[in-house]
Amino acid sequence: MPTNRDVVLVDKQALGGPYFVLTFEHAEVATEGRAGQFVMIKAGQSAEPPLRRPFSILATDPAQGRFRLFVKAIGQGTRALCALQPGEPAQCLGPLGRPFTAPAADEEPLLVAGGYGIAPFLLMSHELRARGVTARVFYGGRTAAELQLREPFAAAGVPLVLSTDDGSLGFPGRVTGALEAHLDRGGDGRRPRLYACGPDPMLHAVAALAARRGLAAEVSLDPWMGCGVGTCLGCVVKIQGPEQERWKYRCACTEGPVFDATHVVWPGDATSAAAGAAR
Amino acid sequence: MSSSPPNLAVDFAGVKLKNPLVAASGTFGYGVEYEGILDLSRLGGLVSKGLYMTPRDGNPTPRLAETPHGLLNAIGLQGVGVRAFARDVLPRLARHDTAVFVNVCGDSIDEYAEVAAVLEDAPGVAGLEINISCPNVKKGGLAFGNDPAMTHAVVAAVRKVTKRPLIPKLSPNVSDIATFARACADAGADGLSCINTLLGMAIDVETRRPKLAYGTGGLSGPAIRPVAVRMTWQVARAVKLPIFGIGGISCAADALEFLIAGATAVQIGTANFVDAGVYEKILTGLTDYLVRHGLTDIRQVVGTLEIPERT
Repeated sequence: MPTNRDVVLVDKQALGGPYFVLTFEHAEVATEGRAGQFVMIKAGQSAEPPLRRPFSILATDPAQGRFRLFVKAIGQGTRALCALQPGEPAQCLGPLGRPFTAPAADEEPLLVAGGYGIAPFLLMSHELRARGVTARVFYGGRTAAELQLREPFAAAGVPLVLSTDDGSLGFPGRVTGALEAHLDRGGDGRRPRLYACGPDPMLHAVAALAARRGLAAEVSLDPWMGCGVGTCLGCVVKIQGPEQERWKYRCACTEGPVFDATHVVWPGDATSAAAGAAR
Repeated sequence: MSSSPPNLAVDFAGVKLKNPLVAASGTFGYGVEYEGILDLSRLGGLVSKGLYMTPRDGNPTPRLAETPHGLLNAIGLQGVGVRAFARDVLPRLARHDTAVFVNVCGDSIDEYAEVAAVLEDAPGVAGLEINISCPNVKKGGLAFGNDPAMTHAVVAAVRKVTKRPLIPKLSPNVSDIATFARACADAGADGLSCINTLLGMAIDVETRRPKLAYGTGGLSGPAIRPVAVRMTWQVARAVKLPIFGIGGISCAADALEFLIAGATAVQIGTANFVDAGVYEKILTGLTDYLVRHGLTDIRQVVGTLEIPERT
């Protein structure tokens, strides 16, 4: 159950450029938060900007009652959050939303991230590790400077496949290119299951790839969100299951942010892949 | 001097509210979304999201844009329809000790009356708020709220089918809101909600497109509070009906402005999105204020605006 709390920043780690890892105290998020879930958070008591912002939970520490966020300071809300000093307050509601579905024993979990979409996959790697499963993480960006969250994966021994559009680090090209190369090599032999988080065009590309290869895939969507609890109806996305005649607007905050990739009606499409296949 | 805490309960058009804080329509879903996040029994009441006879998709996205101290929205009354609400939601809300008002919408005068008629037999409805002021739908909504004759016609039509307290929600997008308040009173309204959102627009200068897919939207939040307080004051002087003051309330002082201007109670809107804990903070603040001013009852504040004589 989500819990609304005034929280305190307990640690701030500046990574390169506008990227930060922020640690907050919040017992419920720390103990109940699952990979793919998020919090709505706002710095301090300041009036501006008016609304909280959604962030995927990066990591949890149930023993300490703490959780971490990976934040890119790009706008007013994220800059205010990253300007917090340890000991300063924030307002936080969480954990919120539907987490990723765990893979079956005969599935190879492939975690595909674009930019700061890497956030949920550190927690997911830890969750899988706790079940004795090693995930493979594909982490892509435009340049090496966008791939700032590499160290925690290395420290945890999680295989990390990097890619950059400009070729400055790792596989030269899109993250889906690196993923396809792995799939073409036959993966680790098990049935691949894709999990993706990042900008919409990347998620759309992963969904198309999954549909083409007949793979199960889940995507974490990140639309503009107002409340996080399904009341403002600002974050709705078009979702259509195989049995549904037409799409319905679903709240990404409460019915997502994780959706079956084949159920999403992508911009420019009339129906979802699942509905198209069912016809 | 009494040591008992001051009274916060008010009577609004015959409905007993344990305190003057009511969640505003469109900012609190159907109420049940907040189960487990806050104690609904702490609220004086809540107003449901607007309901038509049938489910509605609402408008395309993006539907929200932040503006300075405000929020611009064009949701377009996405909703489950009144029958599903009565069947699925009302029984759940009955578990909480709070007054439930239903926001009634229509594409036509007949539809307003039809929705009200469905609710007439539904248990657990304290009153009906008539939505004649949504700026984000093409038919109905504001079309009824910016013409006094149409306003009168809608309220009179709903009045015919319901004995429940009837509370039209006034639009600020008019030149003289008092005229509309009087039209509602003449048509048999029991109270008024004052105000709905202000029609606004925000533009992305890089793309030169409106930030909202619908183009225009309704502005809410602290940015509109002075307008809402002024209109509450004007309406309170024009009619004798109880008023829900609405517009950018996020702390006790904000709520008090509306009460002093003449509102019997207030509705909390955009602040719900910001902080689910806002009700507890305002309740504490109201009690502190009454104690500090040596008052025993929140009703002692209502309509107490003092205007110094000009010298």
